[in-house]
Amino acid sequence: MFAKNMWSKFIISLFVLALVAGFSPMVGAETIKVGSLNDMTGATSDVGKDYALGIAEAIHYVNDTGGINGKQIKLYQFDYGYRIPEALTKYNLFKRLKCVAILGWGTGDTEALAPTVAKDKIPYVSASYSGHLCKPEKTPYNLFFATDYSTQARGLITAWFDKKWPQKPDYGKRKPRIAMCYMTASPFSSSSIKAAKEQAEILGFEIGPDQSVSLFAIDTKSQILALKEFKPDVLLHTNTVMSVAATLRDAYSLGLGADNIIVNWGFDENLPKLAGKAAEGAIGCAPWAFFGLDVPLMDKVKEYAKKYNPGVPLEKRTIHTIQGWASALGLAEALKRADKAGDLSGEGILRKGFETMKDFEIGLGIAPVTYTAADHRSQSQAKIYEYKNGKFLLLDVVDLKKRWPDKWANEWLGW
Amino acid sequence: MHRKSIILNCLSVLSIVALLAGCAGMTAKPTKQDFKAPVVTLDSMEVAHAFGYWYFSKKVQPTKGKPDNVGAPLNLAFVFNIENPNEYPVKMESLKFTIAFEEFDLNTVSSMDTMWIPAGKTNQLRVNAHFDVRQSLLSLLVTGGFKLKEKGTNAWAQLEKWWTEIPQYSVPVHVKGGAAVFKADGLTQVATFEATFPE
Repeated sequence: MFAKNMWSKFIISLFVLALVAGFSPMVGAETIKVGSLNDMTGATSDVGKDYALGIAEAIHYVNDTGGINGKQIKLYQFDYGYRIPEALTKYNLFKRLKCVAILGWGTGDTEALAPTVAKDKIPYVSASYSGHLCKPEKTPYNLFFATDYSTQARGLITAWFDKKWPQKPDYGKRKPRIAMCYMTASPFSSSSIKAAKEQAEILGFEIGPDQSVSLFAIDTKSQILALKEFKPDVLLHTNTVMSVAATLRDAYSLGLGADNIIVNWGFDENLPKLAGKAAEGAIGCAPWAFFGLDVPLMDKVKEYAKKYNPGVPLEKRTIHTIQGWASALGLAEALKRADKAGDLSGEGILRKGFETMKDFEIGLGIAPVTYTAADHRSQSQAKIYEYKNGKFLLLDVVDLKKRWPDKWANEWLGW
Repeated sequence: MHRKSIILNCLSVLSIVALLAGCAGMTAKPTKQDFKAPVVTLDSMEVAHAFGYWYFSKKVQPTKGKPDNVGAPLNLAFVFNIENPNEYPVKMESLKFTIAFEEFDLNTVSSMDTMWIPAGKTNQLRVNAHFDVRQSLLSLLVTGGFKLKEKGTNAWAQLEKWWTEIPQYSVPVHVKGGAAVFKADGLTQVATFEATFPE
């Protein structure tokens, strides 16, 4: 009798539980936590803000289009103001929150956290594209969806050599001359210089004296005057936009007469605004399409920018929004693959997610992405644009792997 | 006897559920057409903490701890009114905005704390924003060089002015490009806002 009574109560409880669960909106609403470390207040906030907006908008897009195999991404996005101690604090918070991966930012946080993310096995997708982050045996959990700085510099020098040098009057009469302008004390600015010099040597350039240009420079006349004697045909710039614009302006006003080739952070929609006429003909590497260009997914980028940040006019959005989308969509793809394989651990996301990508097309004008267990250079193509008559026009696509397969495979990884 | 009791119990539970469902149906249901974006306005800005104006380079040995490039913090708090004009509650998922001192964008802050705003009511949200001389100096130097030159000033002079005058509320602080994301029954609305304090 007592047992039967208990049995009936148990059935009723189950029934009620099933009803409540059935009505609950939380059923099936599994989430995957992702951290995002951004600079919206510090030294790189001019570009960091647009990147951060792109990250958040792309995550909305991922969630609206099915999430990670039905699971929604919960994004924890924090500003660290480019203060390294704060980056470390936020990283500890991400760990406490059980974030499965982190969308990081620049050289500062990426370098500071690289040993820790390797130890903790947390994939860290950054917007620092240093070549030395591509060697898995040293930095296994650092990844990015871009052409690394060294490949960019090699591609820029090669594209100029192929497309511009033959048009010069001295072509065939002497070696082309190149000089490099960058902040020598900055690990970010100088990270691709060794590769750039080697590439210049491979192609037979004469290399002039390096000019140290501060990232804060607004007057670079002394550096330009110092270059006048060398008479460079082309200058390589690896700083950020403001100091690159200052160098272009001074080179233009002092009549240096050299072409300008620029690595991605110095070449965005703000360069012509700051450098004016001096930006005409500037050549830069842009691994992603500029904002608004006609490439797959750009319609979604614009739609989500309008929807989630209507207070920021589209005219003010830049290529850095696209960079944010590339990082977020790339990570989402890795999460989908790892989730499908039933392993959302850090190692699972790396091995069954990122490292299974072979010629994966994200869209957004990015070259196909490939990661292997031995090589984290996701792209071998350098997309080279020229700024002409108010537009960024694709000048060349240099595939370093195809052109120098032996060097790519055996010599260039990790620097 | 017991079977009867089970059936009766089940029927009672079903009736309660049906009643609850019926009550739920009485509240207005959001639709794409009638879901209005809540209105976000700046109620006030408060200088939460001011520490004066100073800067030490890392060449200066501190009394304790390690030397570093450090500058005076300045903490501002922004209080927003968030009015829900709908006949149903809405959930605010996030709110973000950029803060400019005069014409220089110095900070973009966000709140990711969710809150429910009852139908026809106004909630308040406080968002804190941290500034310090070092961080703002780098931001000005890397991005604002040309603008400062045009203005006939330099980064240090500009920072000193802000750090001494903002605590007196004599320099207008601008809220720009504000966006708040609201959800109701799977629908999304984004409210925009801009403001200056003091006006």
